[in-house]
Amino acid sequence: MTSMPMVRRGRARLVLRNTAVGWSFLLPNFAGFAALTLVPVALLFYYAFTSWNVFGGAEWTGLDNFRQLSHDHSFRTALTNTVYYTVFHIPLTLVAALGLALLLNRKLRGVAFFRTVAFFPYITSIVALAQVWNMLFSPSYGPINQFLRAIGIAHPPGWTTSADWSMPAVIVVGTWREAGYYMLLFLAGLQTIPTQLYEAARVDGANAWQRLLAVTLPGLRPTTFFVVVMLTIGSFKVFDLILVMTNGGPGQSTLVVSQYIYQKGFVENQFGYASAISIVLFAICFVVTVVQFLINRRGSES
Amino acid sequence: MKRSLAAVVGVTAAISLVLTGCGGGDDDKSASGSITLTLAGWSFATTPEFKTIADGYHAAHPDVTVQLKEYDATNYDTQMVADLAAGKGPDIYPQKSLKNFYTYQNGKQLLDVSDVAAGLGDKVGGMANYQADGKTYAIPYRQDSWVLFYNKDLFAKAGVKTPDGSWTWDDYAAAAKDLTTKFKAGGSKAVGDYEHIWQSTVQGFALAQTQGASIESGDFAYLKPYYTRAVDLQNAGAQVKFGDATTNNLTYQAQFGKQQAAMMLMGSWFIATLLKQQGNGDADKFDWGIAPAPQLTKATTGQSATPVTFGDPTGLGINAKIAKNKVAAAKAFLAYAAGADGAKSLARIGITPADTDAVKDSFFQLPGVPQDDLTKWTFTHHDTKPENPPGKYTAALQNILNDLHTAVMSGSKDIDAAIADAQTRAKNEVLNK
Amino acid sequence: MTILLQPPSLEIPIEPARPPQRGRTKRLLGYAVLIVAAAAILLPFYWMLISSLKANNDVYTIPVKWLPNPVVWKNYVDIWHKADMTTWLKNTLILSFAVTFLQVLTGSFAAYGFAKVRFPGRRVLFLAYLGTIAVPWQSYMIPQFILFSKLHLSDTLWSIVALQAFGAFGVFLMKQYYETIPDELLDAARIDGMSEYGIWRRIMLPLSVPAIASLSLLTLVTTWNDYLGPLIYLRSHSIWTIQIGLKTFVNSYNAEYSLIMTGSVLSVLPIAVIFLLGQRYFVEGIATTGLKG
Repeated sequence: MTSMPMVRRGRARLVLRNTAVGWSFLLPNFAGFAALTLVPVALLFYYAFTSWNVFGGAEWTGLDNFRQLSHDHSFRTALTNTVYYTVFHIPLTLVAALGLALLLNRKLRGVAFFRTVAFFPYITSIVALAQVWNMLFSPSYGPINQFLRAIGIAHPPGWTTSADWSMPAVIVVGTWREAGYYMLLFLAGLQTIPTQLYEAARVDGANAWQRLLAVTLPGLRPTTFFVVVMLTIGSFKVFDLILVMTNGGPGQSTLVVSQYIYQKGFVENQFGYASAISIVLFAICFVVTVVQFLINRRGSES
Repeated sequence: MKRSLAAVVGVTAAISLVLTGCGGGDDDKSASGSITLTLAGWSFATTPEFKTIADGYHAAHPDVTVQLKEYDATNYDTQMVADLAAGKGPDIYPQKSLKNFYTYQNGKQLLDVSDVAAGLGDKVGGMANYQADGKTYAIPYRQDSWVLFYNKDLFAKAGVKTPDGSWTWDDYAAAAKDLTTKFKAGGSKAVGDYEHIWQSTVQGFALAQTQGASIESGDFAYLKPYYTRAVDLQNAGAQVKFGDATTNNLTYQAQFGKQQAAMMLMGSWFIATLLKQQGNGDADKFDWGIAPAPQLTKATTGQSATPVTFGDPTGLGINAKIAKNKVAAAKAFLAYAAGADGAKSLARIGITPADTDAVKDSFFQLPGVPQDDLTKWTFTHHDTKPENPPGKYTAALQNILNDLHTAVMSGSKDIDAAIADAQTRAKNEVLNK
Repeated sequence: MTILLQPPSLEIPIEPARPPQRGRTKRLLGYAVLIVAAAAILLPFYWMLISSLKANNDVYTIPVKWLPNPVVWKNYVDIWHKADMTTWLKNTLILSFAVTFLQVLTGSFAAYGFAKVRFPGRRVLFLAYLGTIAVPWQSYMIPQFILFSKLHLSDTLWSIVALQAFGAFGVFLMKQYYETIPDELLDAARIDGMSEYGIWRRIMLPLSVPAIASLSLLTLVTTWNDYLGPLIYLRSHSIWTIQIGLKTFVNSYNAEYSLIMTGSVLSVLPIAVIFLLGQRYFVEGIATTGLKG
């Protein structure tokens, strides 16, 4: 140890100092986070291997929950539906949010009003929102189907009352609701792109589309990454929207994993099993997020 | 630097405040001799039954104060499970849904109250549902039963014969179609009947009236005739389509109260609601009555037989963690609530108590209650089977059956396929797992 | 370096000059599109509004009535008698601002540690933060409730503060934003002798006004609209928030739809006003605050 060169020792001291400084920044948030969230979440990993029933009885059952999960048909249905929702919800919301942000990031009379309007679906009570959309989608009397019949479609879809169309209907509403939310993040992100870059691009003769591809999108990379990660996790965890719009029906056509967890836990009192499903959902989100991290890192290095 | 430090200090202070806590404890220090019991309930603003029994009991036992603790009506069990798990549950709590009784009983959250049950005898309906391993864990204080509400004015207008207690489901369906046709001819938009979107409107009757039917058997063939009829009625236009009712959030109160439908099968709790709504103008003023629910066969129709219907009781249970010195008072409270005195005070606010015979006089003195003989007979004559017979698998199987309900009623699946599917799921996911 | 020190622009530069005629038609067309889109987006809110002005049994009808007839203003008087709106709004305001303040402060502070201080283990730690977002709250709600009860937090407003203020969301958002601020800027300040805390306070905070604005608005809305948290933790009526209050009101008066919608409209308005006032920071934030340090 004593033979360690001075440089190394200086380096070690720097690491030590940085660690101390870094932790001092993290601590206010981390203390609260660790005590109030991390501990209960860690407990969950234990409960997943038990037959926990919330009232203290948690018998160790090893991998039983996971074994049961591997041939649980409803879980598979829920997972398929969740992936269905996710695969469509992410790109649609991403494009809509970015489009709104670009449209509303300029000096325009009434831009404050339009921004507020775009954000409105997110603040409107979800019950009212489900109500109105359900009425719009109403198979016999809803305006949407009246319009479709008027343009010559004799048998318009049953939307939320049909097993085939309920998921598309939910995806539409989900996108409509969240686009304004993510627009806000893109608006913040757009502020970080220096004007000079646009001017330089214009001098090079780039048109609006080329400027979007060459300047805006690369400049938005950190924001986009954040939005994609949050959207992914949010889509995998989608719960309240489904609950109020279709409650998983008709049949199991819109049953999603979060709802299944709630059902198994609070309705059927199988909290151990519900914990195991949560762990699986967590693992899926985690893997997807790590992949997104790696892609993002490779992208930002190149 | 200084400011950021101040911020850190501020945050640390906030955290320590949070951690040391500043919540008021709910210790029930009682004056010498007197006891305070806590009783859970929901929606106090519009559900007076808890206050009624609490006050009634306090009047009879002045040394015992009953303190009400309000829970959320739709998330009652979620909140209760959380409170009990954290050891903060109330002394006495209602079993809001029979489906979840197993959770509390099996989770050892209920005190054995067999002695209270023995003291009450067999007049209290629905008691058997709260028994497990020969012991009783809750005492029902109300027992609703499903009956047929009908609009006498609309029947008269259409010139259709009103229910007389002899109806089977075929009579009911024929009347519904007949009414619809006559309304249409008269230019009215009303239809024959309204069946709400709940799975119980179909499955509750099927389970109660079919010989040998059981949820836990995993054999759901008994549902077929009931669904065939329900789907037929909605296809014939005699009843609002399931999809239209769900997407437009139709309420059964308005469908019957605003005379959109001439008949409706509903629980007896709707009597109180309808009286209130006719009083305050939310519902139209019209003559109505109740009749026994239609029967599967003629064997249980007519006033010489007892009509078979369904309905879950609401029972009161005692928290297993209750303080020792309160047990006697809590048991006395249960006995009061389910006994004749409690029943009478409940009937005065329009509640159907577990002992209907004891209260028929006070109930029919309520202003606005129909006075015809059939209504009176229906109120006291019913063989009420539970919709959710308590059991380990009831909650899980009811979930599967609810999926079946929405799939069939929305027309997404035909009845045979839906039953086959539900049976497979029941076997794989619940019964043989 | 100098380029980077300049505040970013207010807007995407407008297209090069065009013949005025074409510009105007295009602009009008743009407005027309925006107005149609705005009307479509506002439809559910419009429905809430008209329902709050309808007689009770006119709310759900087949077909939908898009105009209230007769208009019932009485609902807006009745609700203050039937529901304790003032208490609920007050509690919600207190909570929303407390949570937002703590979340922004601790979040941006921690984000600086993650984004700009290099120390071993920070990546793993950050992933742990992110990981918890992926666990549905319903699944660890009960263990957390038992923990909070042991800390005597349940049934106090502190429980909601504790629940919401230390989330990973703010840390992640601020970290992403800080990463767009070049390290050279910080190194220059370090050479000038500024401490890390000083850099955070004088350089990072002023530069991240748009991010802080969006984090504040989103946290505020999330806390305002949170229903499940108050449902589990707040039992005493005196500390109810608007969402739990409204929901209980809905359950009690479950057939009084027009009153329910009145309550919903009233619950949305404050947040809409706050948003309207707050959104300007996306344009003006950087230009006015600038880099004074």
